[in-house]
Amino acid sequence: MHAVTLDTPRRASAAAPSFAAVAEELLDDVYGYLLYLTKNWALAEDLTGETFETALRRWRKFDPRRGTPRAWLLAIARSTALDWFRADARRRRREERAEAGEPREEAEHTFGEGFSPELEEGLRLLTAGEREVIALRVVLELDGESTARLLDITETAVSTRLHRALGKLEERMRQDDVA
Amino acid sequence: MTSPDLIHELQASRPEAPTTLRARVREMAAQEQKPPVRWPSFRLPVRRMALVALPAAAALAIASAGAIGLSRSDGDVAALRDEAAKGERLATTNVLDVYTGAFDRELLPLVISDTPQGSAVGATPTLASGKGAIGPDRNRATQFSATLTVEVSDSDAVSRAAQDALDLTRRLGGHVVSASVATGEEGSAALTVRVPVARVQEAIVQLSALGRIVSQQVTIADLQASLDVLERRARSVRAQIARIAARLESEPLDAETRAVLENRLKTLRSELRGLRRGISGTNAEARLATIQLGVVTPGVLGAVPVPTRLDRTLDEALNALVWEGVVALAVAIVAAPFALVAFAAWLGRRFYRRREDERLLAAS
Repeated sequence: MHAVTLDTPRRASAAAPSFAAVAEELLDDVYGYLLYLTKNWALAEDLTGETFETALRRWRKFDPRRGTPRAWLLAIARSTALDWFRADARRRRREERAEAGEPREEAEHTFGEGFSPELEEGLRLLTAGEREVIALRVVLELDGESTARLLDITETAVSTRLHRALGKLEERMRQDDVA
Repeated sequence: MTSPDLIHELQASRPEAPTTLRARVREMAAQEQKPPVRWPSFRLPVRRMALVALPAAAALAIASAGAIGLSRSDGDVAALRDEAAKGERLATTNVLDVYTGAFDRELLPLVISDTPQGSAVGATPTLASGKGAIGPDRNRATQFSATLTVEVSDSDAVSRAAQDALDLTRRLGGHVVSASVATGEEGSAALTVRVPVARVQEAIVQLSALGRIVSQQVTIADLQASLDVLERRARSVRAQIARIAARLESEPLDAETRAVLENRLKTLRSELRGLRRGISGTNAEARLATIQLGVVTPGVLGAVPVPTRLDRTLDEALNALVWEGVVALAVAIVAAPFALVAFAAWLGRRFYRRREDERLLAAS
């Protein structure tokens, strides 16, 4: 447990935590969020590293009055992941054009250790958007308002998306139980 | 599996960063340079900035308008007084009626007006007194009319002056055509009197002495020429009547000619009666002069007071504010389309990005 609490926006006069302290505290959160988003532990590691590199570059511009370090880091992580998704989509389109007609082998992504096979399988069937809202609201226990701000949607939309995602996951898990 | 169980399992399997990643991030964080001493940040969010900037801009506009008003109000006070006096003169100058009768150009009325230039009465030459006094020509028939406006101190003085004017008129053998006296805070009187031409100068002099002369105007229209025309025509008609009468008495005429001549005689006699009435009326007009006297208090003149410095400051500040508003409006009109286009582009880009992100997250 660290001495600083990183969830409450600080006043400007309060002593700002060091980047090292923030990184140590929030590394698991950022990694977990990116792992849920990408469902690939190796990619999540890369994107987490990239996220912290970006965060370190921008650390001087971070204004504690405008939000918590956690929300700030998660926003950078999301932006980094979306950039990767865009680049990946472009790369896939190029490859599809180049190898038209040839079946493409999808790389097998894994969540890594700590997940039961059923849970991993259930999560895999969700969309990135659904996994993202589960990660933020359930795993990282971010409140609805912060989640809505991060995802740039309304709180109602967050609740709806979470409800739908949990429903799908629950259904999948129930099917596995029956099987 | 129920939702609480699922949530419990999700939270229990919360991912932890691998040690290699942790080491990498620690190494990265160790490169963090000690931030330089930062001055307190005065950055404000856009909304707060707008909340502050709008009233600040309004206050600046008002302050600058006030400064402009204050600096411009310190102008030439003498010039302002002249301007005010000019306004007063304009307010009190009589409107001249242009004589447009069927007379020759040389018979157009002589109009002489004199308006004081905001100076003391003593310095103002009057039309009916002194060496260069203007009066009717005793050798010719003229229509003499004068308009006088005198200013008295208060409403009571207006009544007194009006009464004095009426007494004077009767004393000089004239009569009152109309009289209107209004008393109150700003009293005024308007009198039209007729006095014998022989005593008109005396009348004007005495009427002018009722108060401070504000304006005076004398109009002299020559009636002699028209009188001469009337008399010549009358002589001619009389001669014609005499000739026709002689023919009717002395010559043996047939019935038709006699009837024509008698009819002609009748017409000429009727014309002669009209001419006699005209000559008589013209002579009567020439015998009496018309004087229109106005008695006023200072307020009635519509005198424009010299504005105070506060008034001038407020006027100038208001003008400056109006101009600032005009400029701001012009800028807004010019900038509005660009701002709208920029806002629409921003909205479109944001909408596109969100749609794109949603699509990516749904597909991954």
